[in-house]
Amino acid sequence: MKVDKPKLVIVGNGMVGHHFVEQLCEQQLNRHYDVTVFGSESLPAYDRVQLSKYFESSSADSLMLATETDYAAQGVGLQLGQQVSNIDQHNKQLTVNGETVFYDTLVLATGSFPFVPPIKGNDRRDCLVYRTIDDLEAIEQAATTAKSGVVIGGGLLGLEAANALSALGLDTHVVEFAPQLMSVQLNDRGGELLKQKIEALGLGVHLSKATQEIIDGERAQHRLNFSDGSFLETDMIVFSAGIRPQDALARECGISIGERGGIVIDDCCLTSAKDVYAIGECALWQQQIFGLVAPGYQMAKVAVSQIAKQLLDNSLVSPATEALRFTGADMSTKLKLLGVDVASIGESRGFEHAQYVELSDVQAGVYKKLWLDETGEYLRGAVLVGNVDDYSHLLSQYLSGEALEDPAVTLLMVDDSAPLVLKDNAIVCSCHQVTKADIVEQVIAGKHQLAEIKSCTKAASGCGGCAAVVQQIIDETMQAQGLETESGICCHFDYDRQALFHLCQVENISDFEQLYQLHAKDASKLALGCDICKPVAASIFATLENEYVLNEKHVALQDSNDAYLGNLQKDGSYSVVPRVAGGEITPDKLIAMGQIAKRYDLYTKITGGQRIDMFGAALSDLPAIWSELIAEGFETGHAYGKSLRTVKSCVGNTWCRYGVQDSLGLAIALENRYKGLRSPHKIKFAVSGCTRECAEAQSKDIGVIATEKGWNLFVCGNGGMRPRHGDLFATDLSTEQLVSYIDRILMFYTKTAARLQRTSVWLESLVGGLEYLQSVIVDDSLGLGAELESQMSKIVASYQCEWKTSLQDDVFLQRFNEFINPNDAPLRDETQYQYQRAQKFPMSSEVQTFGAVTHGLSKTGDIAITQLDEEEVLV
Amino acid sequence: MNWITICDEQALPAKRGIAAWVAGKAVAVFHLGDAGIYAIDNIDPATGVSVLSRGLLCEFDNELYVASPLHKQHYSLTTGRCLENEALSIDIYEIKRQSGKILARLPA
Repeated sequence: MKVDKPKLVIVGNGMVGHHFVEQLCEQQLNRHYDVTVFGSESLPAYDRVQLSKYFESSSADSLMLATETDYAAQGVGLQLGQQVSNIDQHNKQLTVNGETVFYDTLVLATGSFPFVPPIKGNDRRDCLVYRTIDDLEAIEQAATTAKSGVVIGGGLLGLEAANALSALGLDTHVVEFAPQLMSVQLNDRGGELLKQKIEALGLGVHLSKATQEIIDGERAQHRLNFSDGSFLETDMIVFSAGIRPQDALARECGISIGERGGIVIDDCCLTSAKDVYAIGECALWQQQIFGLVAPGYQMAKVAVSQIAKQLLDNSLVSPATEALRFTGADMSTKLKLLGVDVASIGESRGFEHAQYVELSDVQAGVYKKLWLDETGEYLRGAVLVGNVDDYSHLLSQYLSGEALEDPAVTLLMVDDSAPLVLKDNAIVCSCHQVTKADIVEQVIAGKHQLAEIKSCTKAASGCGGCAAVVQQIIDETMQAQGLETESGICCHFDYDRQALFHLCQVENISDFEQLYQLHAKDASKLALGCDICKPVAASIFATLENEYVLNEKHVALQDSNDAYLGNLQKDGSYSVVPRVAGGEITPDKLIAMGQIAKRYDLYTKITGGQRIDMFGAALSDLPAIWSELIAEGFETGHAYGKSLRTVKSCVGNTWCRYGVQDSLGLAIALENRYKGLRSPHKIKFAVSGCTRECAEAQSKDIGVIATEKGWNLFVCGNGGMRPRHGDLFATDLSTEQLVSYIDRILMFYTKTAARLQRTSVWLESLVGGLEYLQSVIVDDSLGLGAELESQMSKIVASYQCEWKTSLQDDVFLQRFNEFINPNDAPLRDETQYQYQRAQKFPMSSEVQTFGAVTHGLSKTGDIAITQLDEEEVLV
Repeated sequence: MNWITICDEQALPAKRGIAAWVAGKAVAVFHLGDAGIYAIDNIDPATGVSVLSRGLLCEFDNELYVASPLHKQHYSLTTGRCLENEALSIDIYEIKRQSGKILARLPA
């Protein structure tokens, strides 16, 4: 007999509601429940904490936490744009858009709504709030005509909103009722320093101002009249005066609500109604609302664990472990507001009888204050403004609850070189509640890379502030296991790629034998190395000197494809890919290529990189094919190298009626500039001519999107096995700036990346991530800028078409005589290829026709379904 | 099997592999200077494709190997055994120099 699964309904698809579903699926509870989520917004869950990032790309894409497809894949029903209007807690049913929905277990994750103070005129035109993507769209719309904007509220969210207005180019002012900014987290002096820093950025800050009314302005749309008789004029207003729990649904059906709002929950996150949980900002626990995401995530975890326990209890299996309980949450936080680093820990505003130590460095713009208990032995809170480097250290001291070992003042002057000693239960990542012990366990299990730890523990994948500490724990744990942390690339060298690169550069090493004799672990007269260290060395020599890769010194180092300047295929034949910069090709060249392909019986396929790949070339035919291609004006496409592949592009404003810049012209110029650059892994670019992004630039290592004012640069995107959207690196660049940044980024990557590390993983492995890369490239924090640019110009200047060079080199051409005694060959079986869809394929391959797909549409065999992409066919 | 002449000694390129026909079979020959000349099956048993002469030479623990250019399995030049998969192995050939010629044969 088939038993219906119990119904689990979640109301709300914000960050906490989404985290609940993630946790649920992680514990595979989605198998035991029929799970449905109702979200009131039209989009699935997105990252509300990073909301102002929306304005960097004017798109919600980079904020999305999940897609509808992700939910479907887990078998979780997701219904968006749905308003739940009633809960009948006795009959366990909901009303959703007039329809009745039953539940066995209900989770309320309805979040909060922005509080708009009851000021006369608060409903005037362009008086907005800041919470959802819809709100952002309204702000963006209003900003197209506005010149100035005011944010009412100088708290954490208010300053985020001010950041957004300022990014939209408005003359921005912050109006705060209290006598200081961020009065929940900071004390007066911390708030004062923050104010000075924000004013230095050109924003207006108005404290102790109570807005009495909003009326018509004289020079702008609105005038705010303050109670002290002063006023401020502005074109638009954003209210950010705090949040209120979204408890209306629970309130109407009689679930217990706190005096000042919030759905009352117990330690199990259960409300007063049977089988109804509440989590996140709508929930009130011991008279507290938690307005940060981390405590909401904890509540989600608790609710999942309680539901799991219930399932076990019902199945009569005794529960193996006690379910989690919510025991309150640490509200410590570290963030960057308007570019200013701010952090608060514990009781950051002090308390009665508290002791303290304080550091105020006006010159350096740094303020720190530590609050201690009455005995001065225990750290109870801290405020940091201007420099938050000590945050992790102080937070772990605070969370450990242990007495200070040294006088508190020493905590203000932490010696960076002194090792940080963390307790096993210390929480390293407070976004995802990851302890040191969690990380150590994974390192011992063999995960030694920061990127791996990020993906399996989620540590450092929230705000990323703990990345340096996580790296340190990885290193310490590996050392404790007796492992080398500077693990070498292979059994011949104790150095990683970056160290080898450095050695070759500093010691001017340009051949493998020299490198081997100087730096290999064990001596060997042959100095053969292996298939790992030889190609790495070849790539390093190529990046440093850009010599002909098949010259006598380097030829024996090249990997399968580079060694014959072709892409080795499964049957031992090669594929040939000439460069078609930007995907622009003349009809004459197309015809020429077609004739050559026909002459040598090559299978042809358009690649994902907008060029043409010709397959099935015999080793011995490669020189002849290339001399014909070169005669027709083609050059090598470097498809065989770990090097720049293609710069994909849309057609741009020369033809397209939406384009705002000549994306195709730029793509061709960029491809010609960087062609031939050897790198740790292949590199792909794309240039789009407008925000419609037809060239898919955000999935490339280097992506450029045209704007009205210049170019937006995205970096370290990736398709392939682990897709990653590129990060917005800089906006509205001139072409000169763009090229200078790309020069620096690519050279810095080739210098510092690990072997076969794509830019996406490289960026994730950089401690400090995107901000660190921006500081190195834009602010030149390492003083490397000029050197990186000059190295790149050396490479650009020494470009050569390797096939052109090779065809003039008799020694090289001998490599294509595969057999030394061809006359002794046995009589060949000539049926090496089969013909399908009018082209050839290896005899051993099964060429599918997918009858189930084509049936009824066309004759079998008409549709090419085989997916051959440069991604897949290149090793 | 008898000794079979492959080529002139001078014709054999140094420090890289080249394929040769020996009694109708494709053989990969590697000339490593003072360290000797080695010959193995040219067909990679992992894929059945004739490519081993195009692989990279490697040295692990004083033993010589060639890495298949297709999927990088390592085959010993002296025993024919595959480092990654015990089930795979290839034939190795004896080589001798005689009056300026290179000769090969399968060991009995």
